[in-house]
Amino acid sequence: MGMNDGGGGGMGQACYVYPGTPATPGRVTPDVSFSRGIYMNGSMLMDDGRSVTIWGFTDLAAGGGGGMGGGGGAFPSPAIRVTEGQIVHTSLTVNMMWMHTIHHHGIEPSMENDGVGHFSHDVTGGTYTYQWKASNAGTYFYHCHTNTPLHAEMGMYGGLIIDPKPLATDPVGTKRAFKNGPIYDVEAIWACDEIDPAWHTLDWAAATCGGDAGLNNLNPKYFIITGVDGANSALTAMAVNMRVGQTALVRYICAGFHPQKIDFGGLTVSVVASDGRPLPAAWSTKSIEASSAERYDCIIKPTTTGSYTVTVQFIHWITGKVMGTARTRINVT
Amino acid sequence: MDRRDFLKVGGAGLATTMMGTGILSWTPRAEAATISKTYYINDGTRTMPDGVSVYFKSFGDSPSALSLPASHIICQEGDTLSITVINRLLKTHNFVIGGLKAGDPPLASTGNIASGATGKITYTIPAGKAGSYMFYDNVTSYNRFLGLHGGLAIMPSGSSTTLYAGSPTFKANKQLFWILNDIDPALHNAVRLNTTIPSTFTPRYFTINGLSSRPPGATSHGEPLIDALYDPRSKLSGSVGDRTLLRMLNAGMCSHSVHTHANHMEWLTNNGTVRPSVWKKDSLYLRNNLGKIDAIFPFAPPPDAYPPVTTGHFPMHLHDEMSQTAGGGLYQFGAMTEIEFH
Repeated sequence: MGMNDGGGGGMGQACYVYPGTPATPGRVTPDVSFSRGIYMNGSMLMDDGRSVTIWGFTDLAAGGGGGMGGGGGAFPSPAIRVTEGQIVHTSLTVNMMWMHTIHHHGIEPSMENDGVGHFSHDVTGGTYTYQWKASNAGTYFYHCHTNTPLHAEMGMYGGLIIDPKPLATDPVGTKRAFKNGPIYDVEAIWACDEIDPAWHTLDWAAATCGGDAGLNNLNPKYFIITGVDGANSALTAMAVNMRVGQTALVRYICAGFHPQKIDFGGLTVSVVASDGRPLPAAWSTKSIEASSAERYDCIIKPTTTGSYTVTVQFIHWITGKVMGTARTRINVT
Repeated sequence: MDRRDFLKVGGAGLATTMMGTGILSWTPRAEAATISKTYYINDGTRTMPDGVSVYFKSFGDSPSALSLPASHIICQEGDTLSITVINRLLKTHNFVIGGLKAGDPPLASTGNIASGATGKITYTIPAGKAGSYMFYDNVTSYNRFLGLHGGLAIMPSGSSTTLYAGSPTFKANKQLFWILNDIDPALHNAVRLNTTIPSTFTPRYFTINGLSSRPPGATSHGEPLIDALYDPRSKLSGSVGDRTLLRMLNAGMCSHSVHTHANHMEWLTNNGTVRPSVWKKDSLYLRNNLGKIDAIFPFAPPPDAYPPVTTGHFPMHLHDEMSQTAGGGLYQFGAMTEIEFH
């Protein structure tokens, strides 16, 4: 076991949490740093007019939230974007009312910096700085790993993109998916997620000491794309607008818990990377079936104009039935 | 909790001993052998992390003690399986070795075994069948969920480091099964009481190789017969370079996303079919109802550590986070194990 042999127990109404804000082992001056607080009283307005409580991370460097957590903030949380090879600091500040971590999903740092409470610590009453190196360009996301079923469902996640180092032979401003990877003009991050409002009234430490909070049973009513309701709003708000001759990179993140199937509306996409690693050979497909936390980097080069409706089906993990869909568009002019 | 004798011989016979480390131990042979194994279809109860007692059935090593999952069998192409299954329960059961690929017919089956009767399989494994298999009871669609399942590993003839002829290699004796199951007590209780089987399932407990995890501070944390984090059948333990084959079988009702921290996995097969190329993945879609994946955990230094490290403790957990709970709460008491770099 890791740093917390014999840890656990309770803190207030929380059990099996591992509070701590130790010094970062081997701390160095980073190439880039991010400062995150938390918010615990945000909301998302759905297309049916109802609001759902959302939790997330704030950007303290931009003046968001002050780490006190009482207000709201952006959903998804502000993205972390770095360049391959950089040493990164992600500082998380949480006041003593709550505990949270940041796990950079797909990033593989030391255990102290992995953001898993029972192998390191849950941040409370201070700041911990996660130190890691961005070794592989690609698509990732970050999320809280404390009482994870609830905290991730509540919205405590954001995009994490590692860009490749610019090639000396490329014109300034050239955007590539990874080193020597395909060049793209237009980019979209589609983090597809499902929301069960019944979970969104729970306490941050719900059922960590036992009891039945229903965390084994997610019955979503809303289906969203990058924080936008997929019923209607995402059709425009999350649409990719491009011209024939341009190349789009869609970074698809399966951010929910149930499996998903994304269909690109008849367009064939070239999947060039998954989970932050280039594929040995690009995979051409019109749809992708994904499980929780998988990422697929999709290159799209439409040859004809049109408006292509992209549909994400959310598939029940037991029955296989489609629980709902989220839609957006690729508009090609 | 009822204790298992996890040190018992896994597949009695030549060269098939389940070592105390929990890793599937294997020494290849130049000659084919007969692998003999006897299973007892039995029942009993296990205590879940929240204290609830749940009824199970199993292919036991002994007439009365549950084995969840059944002790595995490891053998090689050309060997003859000689399996005896004794049904000690009142209901009819069977023992089916599923096919290698999705849609393949079963490799072998005992046929129905009436209460008190004995079923037998004698099957010589032809070439080209190397891979990971699940054996189970399919008299009903749900008997498998009750615990009647286990893993069979067929090695390529003469190899200790490949999954199939020409596959990427793993380190000799570094392979294990991760067999997942999802437990709805209402189903188990209906079977026990012989009442109407529920038409829908809502699992409340989630296991890897029959156990749920117990985090630090919990009763039984660190006990290898109870805590899935420390179960030597499940725990990934190695040093840099100890490439380990993961034979993932989904006996349960839920589709899962298998997520490793510290390293991406090298994805070799999906539902028994060799992938066209090896993708490196941190999350893998393991389908419900007999889904299978083989992958290699490379035990490479965690690539994003700074300063670099070669040791540490990390989780393997399912990312469909409902599976990380017990009884509707108790996060960290679900299907999770530990990855230890030492």
